[in-house]
Amino acid sequence: MRFETFVALRYLVASRRRAHVALIATISIVGLAVGVAALIVSLALLSGFQDRIRRQMMERSAHLRVSPARGARLADAERVRQALDRLPGVAAVSPAIEGRAWASDAGGATAAAVPVRYRNAPAGLTDESGPAARVTASLAARVHVGEGDSMRLTSSRMRLTPIGLIPVAVIARVDGVQRTGALEKSAEVEVSEETARVLSGMTAGAAAYEARLRDPRQAAAAARSAQRALGPEYRVETWRELNAPLAFALRLEKAVIFVTVALVILVAALNIVSNIALTVVEKKRDLGVFTAMGAAPGSLERIYLTLGGVIGIAGTGIGVLLGVGLSVALDRFRLVPLPTDVYLLSHVPFAVHPGEVAAVAGFALATALAAAVLPARSAARLAPGEAIRLSR
Amino acid sequence: MTTLAIKAGNLSRTYTGEGAPVTVFSGLSFELPEGVFAAVMGPSGVGKSTLLHLIGGIDRPDTGRVEVFGESLAEMTPRSRARFRNERIGFVFQFHHLLPEFTAEENVAFPERIAGATPRQAQRRARELLDRVGLSDRGHHGARALSGGEQQRVAIARALARSPSLLLADEPTGNLDAAAAQAVFALLRELHAERGMTTVLVTHNPDLANRCDRLFTMSREGIAASPRLSERG
Repeated sequence: MRFETFVALRYLVASRRRAHVALIATISIVGLAVGVAALIVSLALLSGFQDRIRRQMMERSAHLRVSPARGARLADAERVRQALDRLPGVAAVSPAIEGRAWASDAGGATAAAVPVRYRNAPAGLTDESGPAARVTASLAARVHVGEGDSMRLTSSRMRLTPIGLIPVAVIARVDGVQRTGALEKSAEVEVSEETARVLSGMTAGAAAYEARLRDPRQAAAAARSAQRALGPEYRVETWRELNAPLAFALRLEKAVIFVTVALVILVAALNIVSNIALTVVEKKRDLGVFTAMGAAPGSLERIYLTLGGVIGIAGTGIGVLLGVGLSVALDRFRLVPLPTDVYLLSHVPFAVHPGEVAAVAGFALATALAAAVLPARSAARLAPGEAIRLSR
Repeated sequence: MTTLAIKAGNLSRTYTGEGAPVTVFSGLSFELPEGVFAAVMGPSGVGKSTLLHLIGGIDRPDTGRVEVFGESLAEMTPRSRARFRNERIGFVFQFHHLLPEFTAEENVAFPERIAGATPRQAQRRARELLDRVGLSDRGHHGARALSGGEQQRVAIARALARSPSLLLADEPTGNLDAAAAQAVFALLRELHAERGMTTVLVTHNPDLANRCDRLFTMSREGIAASPRLSERG
């Protein structure tokens, strides 16, 4: 053990005999531990919700989407389909046929039609007993339809009839009402591919092609391969890029929480400053004696930096144990219940990410060390002769 | 030709604190050959301790120059001055200044540890020195558990840890009763002879001062060599 570490540890242990120093040291360690634990629990809470949102993103979004760089439809849809089919790890490829329409109840009881986006459902929707549609919960509420009811979808496309131009409309049976939490878009309707083609007038080809991968985490690599195969006339996007605004909002939310709760750690750091400054004043004579024995100013500075580091390690260690333990317990034993009819979840989820815990621990340690710098420098600048002369 | 252990010329030192500046001495010069056991006497406040601090490099003169074994302290970097102090100068203070959080053995081991020795090496050396000053059984006692004489002997052992060439002792017997003072002085003399050091002893005790090789008297006017009792006519 180095001389500086030896002295710092002994000062910390021996501070028990000096009640005021011991109290401030304890407050410093406890303050830091509380700050670290609070930050870990807050981030675990956010991660718990955000992980679910990301899982929904992966489940509901196409993992890859190829659309034309210019124009509304793919110039060579078959080539795109084949290119996606050939990619390793692709589970399914489907065309995207989409457009705008107005939704209303089939009987016309709704005062106004609701503008919606429609698109073909990736899977599980057939027109065996007439056109079928899946709607979001909020749209179902606005149009006053439930499962089994019929609704009218009126396309923005017109067709020529003997009585003139009339909009294309489809009466579809509501096959399902989706509640998707954070990912729910207010007015979206999924229909079969056949109905989507009727509404859009796109009898062949597609506006885009979408692929689902067996491992969505490989989307970026697959997108690069697809882009190389298809060239610059096509735009290839991953599920992360398709949901970029939401992903940015999630990251921003986490950053804001980090900065806000980290203020507790900064307040704890002020305690560390006062603890070390007090020790420097109390141990002024010792510093003079160490200098007389040949300790260099840098060595004296390191004693107090080590003291800050030890307080930082103790506070951070306790805080990490407390924060991780609490988060795991809250999640495993479902200690914070939620009303399922409102939140789609039975309890508040907590997810501990090792990277985030490491970031919190690193921040707390760096703050503790930074707090020790000023008093440590003052120790190094001390006039040793005067310290000994005045301590007689 | 005699080699000088200490050569200090035209030293002045003024302390500026909360009140008016206090000039301790001005234009003071002092020389001491190697291997001498010298005593410095003088009334309180004339700057005896300050002179030791300037010679030992733990304080800096406002003017003047200090050379120890031919090396100018002012020309050294703080780091090299610290290393020089660690290797060549030992300090003994009036109030022993043992560090209360540490045992006697740990106190004695500090100079070796500062020099970079392993804890085991420093501990072995500390035990040897404590044995030499007659305190081999007190190594694990805290500084507060020792008597005044014992504390001062531990302080002497600590000062000798790196086998310094120069020992600066600032009233080491000032706080001890007569018997303990005699014992500490006898130990200092023995160690001086044994190790061939140069020793500067600040003392108010004329009996002890007269038993040193040389005697200097400090006053407001400066420092001058004085005849010892045995040398007076």
